Amino acid sequence: MRLSPEQFWTYSEWLFQHNGLRDGMILALALSILGFLVGYLVSVVNHGPVEGFLKVAQNIGQLFTVDIPKFSFRRVGAIAGLAFKESVRKKILVLIGIFIIAMMFAGWYLDQNADYPARLYISFVLTATNYLVIVLGFFVSCFSIPQDIKSRTIYTIVTKPVRPLELFLGRVLGFAGIGTLILLVMGLLSYVFVVRGLNHEHEVETLDANGKIGQTTFANKHTHTFTLNEEGRGTTNEVKGHRHIVTKVGDRIVIGTKIDDLTARVPIYAKRLEFTGRDGEKNEGYNVGYMSEYQKYIEGDSLSMAVWEFDGVNKDLFKDVISYDLTISAFRTYKGDIVTPVGGIIYFRSPDEKVESERESFKVKEFQVDRRSIRTKLKGFKEGQPADLDFFKDIAPDGKFQVVIRCQDRGQYLGMAAADLYLRPADLQFWWNFVKGYISIWLQMFIVICFGVMFSTFLSGPVAMIATVAAIVLGFFGFFVDQLQASTTKGGGPIESLIRVPSQTGSQIELDLGSPALEEAIRVVDTWLLTGVAQLKNAVPNFDQLGTADFVAYGTNLFGGLLGRHLTIALGYFVLTSLVSYFFLKTREMAA
Amino acid sequence: MATALESGPSGSTSANDPTNVIVETRNLGKIYRDFWGRKKVHALKSLDLEVRRGEIFGLLGPNGSGKSTTIKLMLGLLFPTSGRCFVFGKDATDVSKNERIGYLPEESYLYKFLNADETLDFYGRLFDMSADERKERTAKLIKMVKLEHARRRQLKEYSKGMTRRIGLAQALINEPEFLVLDEPTTGLDPLGTRDMKDLILRLRDEGKTILLCSHQLADVQDVCDRVAILHQGELKELGRVDSLLKMQDVTQIHASGLNDDAKSRIKKIIEESGGQLERMDNPTTTMEDLFLEIVKESEQRPGRRGGRGEN
Repeated sequence: MRLSPEQFWTYSEWLFQHNGLRDGMILALALSILGFLVGYLVSVVNHGPVEGFLKVAQNIGQLFTVDIPKFSFRRVGAIAGLAFKESVRKKILVLIGIFIIAMMFAGWYLDQNADYPARLYISFVLTATNYLVIVLGFFVSCFSIPQDIKSRTIYTIVTKPVRPLELFLGRVLGFAGIGTLILLVMGLLSYVFVVRGLNHEHEVETLDANGKIGQTTFANKHTHTFTLNEEGRGTTNEVKGHRHIVTKVGDRIVIGTKIDDLTARVPIYAKRLEFTGRDGEKNEGYNVGYMSEYQKYIEGDSLSMAVWEFDGVNKDLFKDVISYDLTISAFRTYKGDIVTPVGGIIYFRSPDEKVESERESFKVKEFQVDRRSIRTKLKGFKEGQPADLDFFKDIAPDGKFQVVIRCQDRGQYLGMAAADLYLRPADLQFWWNFVKGYISIWLQMFIVICFGVMFSTFLSGPVAMIATVAAIVLGFFGFFVDQLQASTTKGGGPIESLIRVPSQTGSQIELDLGSPALEEAIRVVDTWLLTGVAQLKNAVPNFDQLGTADFVAYGTNLFGGLLGRHLTIALGYFVLTSLVSYFFLKTREMAA
Repeated sequence: MATALESGPSGSTSANDPTNVIVETRNLGKIYRDFWGRKKVHALKSLDLEVRRGEIFGLLGPNGSGKSTTIKLMLGLLFPTSGRCFVFGKDATDVSKNERIGYLPEESYLYKFLNADETLDFYGRLFDMSADERKERTAKLIKMVKLEHARRRQLKEYSKGMTRRIGLAQALINEPEFLVLDEPTTGLDPLGTRDMKDLILRLRDEGKTILLCSHQLADVQDVCDRVAILHQGELKELGRVDSLLKMQDVTQIHASGLNDDAKSRIKKIIEESGGQLERMDNPTTTMEDLFLEIVKESEQRPGRRGGRGEN
């Protein structure tokens, strides 16, 4: 899994330094102004310019003077309960059945031979759940109010002292309630499916004469080798993303539970990663010519190095050992001995570079996680002299330290990104991470419901559904709109592509219609259209970023800051859609 | 246009006292437009009327005359194109007026998947009533509309009459001061109609104000104190039922036990005093009275009844 830098901002960093709050405010302000203008125009048509303005002002005034002060949770509860019952009556719970059937068949198709079956299983259940509940969200939410208007049951509701906000809120909470119920069931089923699907046991197959090294039996399409230490304890090697704990009980060797695949690592990332070039000067790291800019490279057998700077590392998180994971890659300028991996050295040092640990050489494990550790009581150098060190006293007295990696082999390169080295204090429980993944899905469903109910306050059911689907699609493919606008995608805007497709003009060729003026006109209109779409995109939630299935699948703790961010975004959209719905419900004739 | 035949409703001290006016429309008009804003129907043309406290006010007219439009404007379900409508002195679009209103729609637009208890409980919660209060009101209303036997059945299993009755119960859940009944007797059998009419009169006696709209003229005549007659969106007649219907120059005498001699003497007296005898015969009862009598008798003495008409 590749984490992008914005994924490990803390909550306050996102809110204040990275403009989360500002962007939200701008969106709210823009929508308020737009809403006011649209409301005013509609009102002008009905009542004329002066009275129209008064009507709009009156509606805004009533929100604060009457509708919010007289808000009643009992009414919201009643409407929510009704929405819940209505969904149950519509046989929404059939969805659970569909999900169970999907999982039954999934067992046949999920590849046990995959390198990381856990990732596959978890991604599958999370993605399936995610799509199902999003579909559920818009089906239940878009049709309810239009249905009530059509069947006129709304007459008996709005002739009671029910306020527009309560009507909106009741629906949203009712549908969220049924969604929660469904998610709970799906979550439990998924958890059992994942845990049972991956569960397997090995026995000892062969053992060497000393009784220390051996191999396990074949199970779930793999075997492990294992090595025991003097005390008769050890682990197997890592195959398919997991290891087993091996213990010697009496004369018998027991291959125990598996570890590492269903977990929630709590990575501590460095504040920054800096590179030094082959001449010893700071640079951006070398680009070895891959399209991806994710990793940068250091050169072997030179002054080139990569330095991670850690800050504020809490020593209470670690006891005798500091574990860390390394996922760096190698780039070879010559083949050499292809079996031997490229080598590197790693050491820890204080920020003033006066104290450092002994240098440890390692061989790069490409395409997998290298689980490493360093003891807190260690040997090293203090101002150039060998010394016994205490990690948190000598190297990192105030939680700040650096990790340095250099490449040993001349002419070879090692590639790394900031997230490729992280400290790994004790893991958290997998089930809790799984729950957080589901909370993330819940938030997406909630946003969809808010949008669906909002659109249904002024559009008919099918139209509301199309509008909601458009918002979701725009939310999932926002990055594509960005690419189009930045012209990194070939083929031009909507009109240009409409001409290119039937005329079979390849995207690499300039559009030639024989009239430069026409071509220019198309380009201008396309730019306008794309700008419009980009503005719309900014107004809808970015579902692509709200998805957190990867965190759970790759066993990385879905940290609170990110979840908090998503929670805030959902809350923001909830407030926005409530306000929009309020004004639409307030200004529409229920009997028209 | 309206002819002013009005005198204050019985019990009202002064028609001009603003606290006694429950609904007031001033120059109220409604034009339905299509999506493009083009005029489709002029459903209501400058309506002026008042509904006063404690009266039963009937809104009459053929289909499409603007009755339902008027009611919807009063309830805030529609917004007026011109003029104003006030309910309890507040604009009709003000939600807080609904605290004191009960509304029985033309067809009982209720949630068919709820049962009677759940329905009343739901509407009670919309009035922010406490659980105890809801329970008490629900029990009382279900008894009043005689649905005790069906309180746990879903409304989709209800007959039309039962649906009407539960509709009325939900309109009364908040003990409203003002009750709007849209076609309260449609779909009811004569017995149900009689019950409904009795109930309406009883509610009036309890001090409630009732606006009902109907084209069952007999019903209107039976219960209404005042009526307004609408046609093509215009108010054609407004006044007290008894004064509207009274034929000033006709005298009606009902008497029993007269022999032929007495009858001829009466004829003679009429002729002598310069009057003209229009009709003198045995009156027929109304179908409604006959039906009610038969049902009542059958309840007392079950079994096949000897036909009276065949004799």
